[in-house]
Amino acid sequence: MWKFIVRRLLITIPQIIILSIIVFILAQMMPGDALSGLIDPSIDPAAVEQQRERLGLNNPWYIQYVDWVGGILQGDFGQSFRFKMPVTELIGQRMVNTVLLSVVTLIFTYLIALPLGLISGRFNDTLLDQAITGYTYIGFATPLFIFSLFMLWIFGYNLGWFPTSGSVAPGTEPGTIAYWLSKVYHALLPGISIALIQVVSTVQYLRSEIIDTKQKDFIITARAKGAGEQRVYNKHIFRNSLLPIAAFFGWEITTLITGTVFVEKIFSYPGMGLLFLESITQRDFSVANSLVLLFGTAQIMGALLSDIILSIVDPRIRIK
Amino acid sequence: MEATDVKELEQAKTPSAIKVLLKELYRDKLALVSLIFLVLVAAFVYGLSIFLDQDQIVTVDLFAINEPPGEDFILGTDYGGRDVFGQLIIGTRNSLTIGILVTLLSGVFGIAYGLISGYYGGHVDNVMMRILDFMNILPFLFIIISFVVIVPDYNTITFSLIMSAFMWMGIARLIRSKALQERELDYAQASKTLGTSNFNIIFKQVMPNIVSLIIVTMTLNLAANIGLESGLSFLGFGLPESTPSLGTLISYATNPQTLEHRWWIWVPPAVLILILMLAVRNVGEALKRAADARQRRG
Amino acid sequence: MAFLEVQDLQVYFPIKGGIFNRTVDHIKAVDGVSFEMEQGKTYGLVGESGSGKSTTGRAIIGLEDITSGKILFDGKDITDKKTKNKAFRKDVQMIFQDPYSSLNPRKRVLDIVAEPLRNFEKLSKQEERKRVQELLDIVNVSPDSIFKYPHEFSGGQRQRIGVARAIALKPKLIIADEPVSALDVSVQAQVLNFLKEIQSELNLTYLFISHDLGIVKHMCDNISIMYKGRYVEQGSTADIFENPQHIYTKRLIAAIPDIDPKNREKQFHNRQKVLEEYTQSYNDFFDQDGLAFQLKSISDTHRVALPQKG
Repeated sequence: MWKFIVRRLLITIPQIIILSIIVFILAQMMPGDALSGLIDPSIDPAAVEQQRERLGLNNPWYIQYVDWVGGILQGDFGQSFRFKMPVTELIGQRMVNTVLLSVVTLIFTYLIALPLGLISGRFNDTLLDQAITGYTYIGFATPLFIFSLFMLWIFGYNLGWFPTSGSVAPGTEPGTIAYWLSKVYHALLPGISIALIQVVSTVQYLRSEIIDTKQKDFIITARAKGAGEQRVYNKHIFRNSLLPIAAFFGWEITTLITGTVFVEKIFSYPGMGLLFLESITQRDFSVANSLVLLFGTAQIMGALLSDIILSIVDPRIRIK
Repeated sequence: MEATDVKELEQAKTPSAIKVLLKELYRDKLALVSLIFLVLVAAFVYGLSIFLDQDQIVTVDLFAINEPPGEDFILGTDYGGRDVFGQLIIGTRNSLTIGILVTLLSGVFGIAYGLISGYYGGHVDNVMMRILDFMNILPFLFIIISFVVIVPDYNTITFSLIMSAFMWMGIARLIRSKALQERELDYAQASKTLGTSNFNIIFKQVMPNIVSLIIVTMTLNLAANIGLESGLSFLGFGLPESTPSLGTLISYATNPQTLEHRWWIWVPPAVLILILMLAVRNVGEALKRAADARQRRG
Repeated sequence: MAFLEVQDLQVYFPIKGGIFNRTVDHIKAVDGVSFEMEQGKTYGLVGESGSGKSTTGRAIIGLEDITSGKILFDGKDITDKKTKNKAFRKDVQMIFQDPYSSLNPRKRVLDIVAEPLRNFEKLSKQEERKRVQELLDIVNVSPDSIFKYPHEFSGGQRQRIGVARAIALKPKLIIADEPVSALDVSVQAQVLNFLKEIQSELNLTYLFISHDLGIVKHMCDNISIMYKGRYVEQGSTADIFENPQHIYTKRLIAAIPDIDPKNREKQFHNRQKVLEEYTQSYNDFFDQDGLAFQLKSISDTHRVALPQKG
């Protein structure tokens, strides 16, 4: 197991390096550079050239790359030319919202997925199971953005149960309990929307895992020894089936990141996903590229986390 | 003796993959209805769009802004006075076209990649799988959007290429694991001893044996690709507004006024995408059952 | 000069491990095998499963990478995969063990038998079909069945289709890897006799790989016994069956079933005796790793891996 974890960690390093190179190349391909956002177009071209030289923008690409990576490692992502502020600060403001949204989503994901999966697996082929399976089948085919629009239309506008935009009610004092409650309240509907679509793969996985485990020899032995049905499920089946689910956590991050982009757009929720869309449309590329790098790193870390959890709970994959 | 019989029975079903798949589809009523529906929708939108003038439909008409459904416009008009029904037809056509194009492009590349990786195995496989693993963890949505912004000559073809560049990994991985199994079988080994080139073994000997897997995966991919295309168009990074897709129509709903009060603009395309994706999935799932002998009905 | 000469052939499979997935050890599937074959003869290679006999055959034809050693075919060095040129591919063919997987299930008989022809000869459609029908005629499969698929044939028929494919290019050497062990006993004799028939007709040389000494006795002129990647005994069929020297060979021969019930008692005692000898002298005949020693000549044709101390 340790060998697997070390080998898996070693793969992560080149992954992150290549990701950074890709983002760097993307940045080079995008029009404008770090300077074009900072200066007034009416400034004398000679002075601009001087500035460029001073900032190292005329250096060969690999030196620029090293400078850029060096800056990032110190938390310096450059300047946003739209907002005229450091990218780090800008992203920091939005990150709170996205992290909150993600936490809400994850809570709801497991709140929905676990009971549905357990019920569906335990009582498989009953009417209840068929209803749940039907839900996962349709959920799998439903694009998140369409589902979220309907959620917003029905629960936000028609029923008025939830706020329809923003991340906090205007006028609330930051830091107060009311402020945080309002924040959570704003994250509820978008979070539930992602969760309801995101759960389907977990439910399906859990269901088939339980049905599989049910027929394993050790369960039959437990039954033969006279263990009660409830005990068999609680002590043996659920525990064995839930462990792999724990490993899904890291991979959910990928789905989650993609999901937040759509949902933040639909609910006008000021998080990192919406910031990415705005910065791309407004050609604020230093912001956009930093976000790609952050999201990519988050995904790499998520996959790493999942693989490690899985190698601990499921010895089968260590062989690879 | 008995083992031989069983083996022969199994083999008896294998030869014409496509026939078996079609027969199975015919038995599965839901899938059959879905398939007929898809064919009808495709025939309808492709047929009707010949008579519709895309330029005329996307031309702004300030005298007919946001009209509800009525006699002049079956599904009303949008904020630019454009006929929603016409846009729906053309949008469906464009979404289907892109979906099919991306499925084919990414499919062809993914199949070739998987076959080569799995067939050669060893170091080739190792390197190719590392690359694939890396592609898989890229935040593809963001990179696609970044590319969409960078690419200078942006049109349907370049958009399909960008999308395909990030959509081939799933099928490649599936085909690769199947090819790893196939290459160990004696018929592939026999081909080597008969002097058949690796290229011919891969594409003429091994590939016909995984046709059903290819068909199933491509069908399911089609649904996913239609979903992703409409999603990107919804975000405003899909097809340009002059080439409306279903996602473009739905994106009008990001205007709260439209979302709340003008359902005729965004609900029909949203529902249509849902039905289309369900229908494609029904067909795909039925094909999957057919391809997997253990799940075959009857 | 021998027709096929194998000198000190070694085929090792790496065992991967460690953090960097490096090769940490090897499985010595074939560990220093040498033999020579004459044209027109049948050479038997016998051993239990895992003894490396199939690997030897597959290494000669190029399906396995050779770790070291040398293979000469018709005087030409064909050890390296790159040197296995078109002429070699044409001259050396293989018959596979499993007639169910060795024929591509998605191909018609015509395509299967014509595969080598398409690779080496430019024939028109008509000529090609005629050649395939002739070949099917040779192997006693109805020439009308060229448009059928493999699953429409019985195991014996399939194996004969495999043979038709192998002889399509008029090869000089055929490596037959357990060609009948997947077939019913009733069909085995039929296919074996047929292989003998075409051997004299086409002046074929066989490398006949089998675990069944009875079949090898029936088919072969020379026999080698393999154990854990090494030869334990090598000689003419008479040498091996009438004068076995190595205890492993003796045991294999004792294990051949005798169909005469009158001999049952005798056979049983014989086996007991051989087993006793085997257990007693195991340490004399094998080194501390359980491997056989170097071969030593005890006559012109007969070589045995006798203990070093002699």
